[in-house]
Amino acid sequence: MRHTPVNTNADREELVAAASGFGVRARDGRQLLEETSLSLRGGRLFAITGPSGAGKTTLLRAFLGHLPHGTARSAGTVRVLGHDMFQVDDDSRRTIRRSDIAYVGQDPVSSLNPRLRVRTLLTELGSDSTAAELLAAVRLPSDQGFAARRPGQLSGGQLRRVALARALSKRPRLLLLDEPTAGLDPALREEIVELLCRLTREHRFAVAFSSHDRDVVERLADDAVHLTADGGRRPSTLRPVAHRPAPATEPPSIATPGAPVLDVRDLGVTFARRGAGRPALAGIHLSVAKGSAAAVVGASGCGKTTLARTLVGLCKSQSGTVRLDGTVLPATIRRRSREQRRRIQLITQDPLGALNPSRTIGSSVARPLRIHHGTPSGAIGALVDELLHLVGLPESFTGRYPHELSGGQRQRVAIARALAAEPDILICDEITSALDPDTGDAVMGLLHRLRQDRRMTLIVISHDLALVRERTDTITVLADGRAVESGATADVFAAPRHAATRELLSSRLAAT
Amino acid sequence: MKASTRSVLPRVIPAALLVTLALAGPWLIPHAVDKPVTMPFGEPGHGAPLGGDQLGRDVLSRLLAGGRELVLSALLIAVVVTAVAAVVGTIGALRPVVGRVVERAADMLILLPAVLGVMLVALSWPGGGRLAVIVAAVALGLPYAVRLTAGAAAPVAASGYVEAAAAGGERLWFLVVREVLPNLRATLLALLGLRFVEAVYVVSMAGFLQVGPQPPAADWALMIRENSSGILLNPWAVIAPSAAVGLLALSVNLAAAALAPQTGRKAATLL
Repeated sequence: MRHTPVNTNADREELVAAASGFGVRARDGRQLLEETSLSLRGGRLFAITGPSGAGKTTLLRAFLGHLPHGTARSAGTVRVLGHDMFQVDDDSRRTIRRSDIAYVGQDPVSSLNPRLRVRTLLTELGSDSTAAELLAAVRLPSDQGFAARRPGQLSGGQLRRVALARALSKRPRLLLLDEPTAGLDPALREEIVELLCRLTREHRFAVAFSSHDRDVVERLADDAVHLTADGGRRPSTLRPVAHRPAPATEPPSIATPGAPVLDVRDLGVTFARRGAGRPALAGIHLSVAKGSAAAVVGASGCGKTTLARTLVGLCKSQSGTVRLDGTVLPATIRRRSREQRRRIQLITQDPLGALNPSRTIGSSVARPLRIHHGTPSGAIGALVDELLHLVGLPESFTGRYPHELSGGQRQRVAIARALAAEPDILICDEITSALDPDTGDAVMGLLHRLRQDRRMTLIVISHDLALVRERTDTITVLADGRAVESGATADVFAAPRHAATRELLSSRLAAT
Repeated sequence: MKASTRSVLPRVIPAALLVTLALAGPWLIPHAVDKPVTMPFGEPGHGAPLGGDQLGRDVLSRLLAGGRELVLSALLIAVVVTAVAAVVGTIGALRPVVGRVVERAADMLILLPAVLGVMLVALSWPGGGRLAVIVAAVALGLPYAVRLTAGAAAPVAASGYVEAAAAGGERLWFLVVREVLPNLRATLLALLGLRFVEAVYVVSMAGFLQVGPQPPAADWALMIRENSSGILLNPWAVIAPSAAVGLLALSVNLAAAALAPQTGRKAATLL
């Protein structure tokens, strides 16, 4: 089948880049990207949409003249500024990449050198603008303190904006953005969307971006292409829900209020940084009833991920206690017993780093079954297949390695692995941001069923307020490392008391 | 898979041939290694293709017979050093307290020169022979190797999947063997090659100093020492064993580099 853009109103704008009948195939014959044609013109934004694994990232990277390891071009050409990116010699390709194209990957953490300061990251590509101007352009604090930080000291959303500012710093002709708004809170997403619109009109560069967010695509894109994955990718158990259920029709709580399974008192975390450190979390109280779903929301950089990591013990707290069923948990993971570790599972934000690159999907998912439940070897294969099936991946994935999967597929493997441990509490850090809306809905539906069937408790960290409103019972709003408001989700959404909450809820995307 | 096998094979074959030849050498010798067959430092010819050594013994036979022990000791040293360093270095990366102790200890040991170390062991353990040389070489090689593996393991130990495994209830041993080390294969293979070269160097040096093998045993290092006085009369008696040591080190290093995975199973690709 061939993909052609939905909307190709030929423009008088300059043609910057074009793919014609371009397809990619893996060495074993699987078609990774169906033949696709599209034209990128100056001053226009082009959206690439489709379910995870359809080849969005592969298509974006093809404009750099780069294909994933072990794959080959099956048909067609990709031209940038008149050069066929798969035919030009290495020198010209490097020159084009250096001066005309900017690429911002899905995972900003792995693309920014962790040793460089923000200031250096922004100016090393030889831009005319200062670091402060670039930071202001992406709505980051432009003071010296922020510019002196290193990537390890920034939150996921801040890193994404630094990566974007770095890409903008070289004034490219072609800007390639892989999921530019994933992991950003609604207000920020709003700003980034506006920023992209404005910059594209001003500087007349061509933009191609991939996104799962329908709203972002609708508002940003001048043209769009929808890629489809190869058949049989989504089994019937995970049939996506046709419409998101209205909040009123779904019972807000399926949990009978009882003793909290998780009780956090006065939690404080400070990252020591040359003497006095800034507290990342201070005085956090959180109480979650068994079988309920609790949301943790807040602007980018407020300490949500730190809270999640502290609960599982990956991050050491300096003060406060975490109680699991009334027992105080040791602060670090090494002091916790294997059973205590099993009971709280964390699915992290970063799907690229969460899976060991030298172990197959099957062995990653099988491991928790083996160590926590002593499942005999004979039964493991069937259970792994069942878990992969639950998250909507075919059984044939068991023998593959993480680098052969897309970001969304890896995220689903990470979910399957966490479920394999049969945790009592599952902490989901932005797990749907790498998934397309249908799969995201289906995964949240699956977690909802597990809450009902196994009385599993869910802690959801998300920027997707629609998801939070539908799927959670209680909500805690963080701002600058403090819990500023908490209560029943419906109540907080109806009558937010704190300014930070109102700001979160008031953005346009949250209101939809 | 096939394409990579084709490109790897030509770089592995020289090492395989040379090591096989060294190991099988003692069964292939045309003359006894301790009986004179020609004049001292006799020129090549007359049934001795590489001439005679200081006592008129056949250089070719002694060359064939003299490599086995060297290759075996060097291999043993390289494997032990790499394996121990891999485990200790990785534990050091996963457990910062252990890591600091290991690094300080390694720093101290690195200060000891190899020659001095070998002499010390030989003097304090007179009957040790080859075993003493092996122990000394392992002890001297470990500190460097540990520092290197600890450095290579540090970024892997901080990665998301190792954290996920630790949070999933894995014990230290599993983290080391199954989570971290498989991702260090390239580094460890390169290290193995380097340690082999280093071991050949240390064992030969010990042989040259007559710590370890004693005359009249056939040994490449011993041959170089014994025959250096007659280098002008029959240069082959010195050049042949020297070249054998050099080629062995080079070819094994080449093979280790060829076997190391180039690309592929990486979490994030370049760009």
